[in-house]
Amino acid sequence: MPTKKAPVTLCITSGKGGVGKTSLTVNLAFALAEKGARVLIVDGDLGLANVDVLLGLSVKRTIRDVLDSGADPLESVIYLEPNLGVLPASSGVPEMVTLGPEDQSRLGSVLTTISSHFDYALMDTAAGIGPSVLWFNSFVNHNIIVLSPDPASLTDSYALIKILSRDHNRKNFHLVINLANSDGEGLQTYETLEKVAKKFLNLDLQYLGTVPDDKSVHKAVRGRYLFIQKAPQSKASQALFDLADRIKMLKEMTS
Amino acid sequence: MDQLLDLQEKCPSNNQECPVFDEVRRLREECKRLQELTQVDTLTGLFNFRYLMMSLEGEMERTRRTGLSTGLIMSDLDHFKRINDTHGHECGNEALQWIGKIWHEKLRRIDMACRYGGEEFIVILPGTRLPQAIRAAERLRFALENSPVKLNGKLVRLTASFGVDAYRGRKKLTVETFIKQTDHFLLEAKARGRNRVCYDENKITVAMEGLTLDEREALFATRRPER
Repeated sequence: MPTKKAPVTLCITSGKGGVGKTSLTVNLAFALAEKGARVLIVDGDLGLANVDVLLGLSVKRTIRDVLDSGADPLESVIYLEPNLGVLPASSGVPEMVTLGPEDQSRLGSVLTTISSHFDYALMDTAAGIGPSVLWFNSFVNHNIIVLSPDPASLTDSYALIKILSRDHNRKNFHLVINLANSDGEGLQTYETLEKVAKKFLNLDLQYLGTVPDDKSVHKAVRGRYLFIQKAPQSKASQALFDLADRIKMLKEMTS
Repeated sequence: MDQLLDLQEKCPSNNQECPVFDEVRRLREECKRLQELTQVDTLTGLFNFRYLMMSLEGEMERTRRTGLSTGLIMSDLDHFKRINDTHGHECGNEALQWIGKIWHEKLRRIDMACRYGGEEFIVILPGTRLPQAIRAAERLRFALENSPVKLNGKLVRLTASFGVDAYRGRKKLTVETFIKQTDHFLLEAKARGRNRVCYDENKITVAMEGLTLDEREALFATRRPER
């Protein structure tokens, strides 16, 4: 059912690296696609891209080529399924880490064009709070913050939320706690952050879900396959299908 | 062509008294002198208004292309009228020259210190973010306050007020608007008692100042096991 409705754009970001952001993005995209949606994954880690590594793709054209030589953005999309595309970034191109304003506005129109062919565009950003991370977060409809229960991840997520709310006027954050020992630990981590954000930033953070630390996930990342495909019954996969359902509710909220 | 001549210290055909080469050298010196006249404020030795406007335009364009901020410091000598009235206009001029000397000493080589007009000065700081520009202004303010100048045989302590801003290239801004925007903070510095540096405090982002101690404590307090 081709719709002309604007796509839901989501930015998946974490402040701290190593919390499983990319793996979460890709598996979530599969879960959404499984439910029939047209989904685009954008590798927003423009300096050190790794969506393609995780998926074992051989990349011919990247976002960089689209920006540099005006390559057709739609032709740069690699289709994993008929309704699941990936727009790869280029690894190790340092100038893309700091996007200049000129590049930013072009990237914005390129992403808008491509996204219009999908129901959801999931943008996986780099770690940290660099200019490109802030840019992707300001560009999208919804900000998904991925964190682990580890204190360093908690602090960095909070710092990122603070910057985005204060300097970029973002107010709606959805939290996903990854690598949790239990749902309880995930919820507790959320509550901590939620309280502090309420007190100091006057923000209401939304809880999107907890993804448990699951052996099948680690195995999948090393084996370069997707746990949601290989082990759809695992706890992590079930958590991701739940996340996908909640994200579909976000779409209904937006439209 | 210019570079070629610059490299040559003597006549290419080795004629010691070559009239053509002497003329070229004379013209080159004259050219340099005239270039200085069009760019430099003769009283203070700083860049003049014309150079200021031209360079700022260029730096703002660079910011739009590269995303590297351009910092701007506007300053105004405090109580200039009183100096003129008390010590005479010549001393007023000496005071301005004194500022020129200090600005010249305290800024980096790539910064452009300019006389905007009267007792107002503008410094362009290429590739400089707001926090660094604020530090630079603070350095100038401190240096001026702590180096008294001899006027009419008396040591006089001069102070100045400063407004600081930075252009990040996010929106299209003209040179005039950028200056006006910065001037607003200079006026604020004057209004708040002079001899101070003012800027948009909302623009200092979390990335620069990090989290407060209270926030850190709150983030970890709830995670400690209860006793």
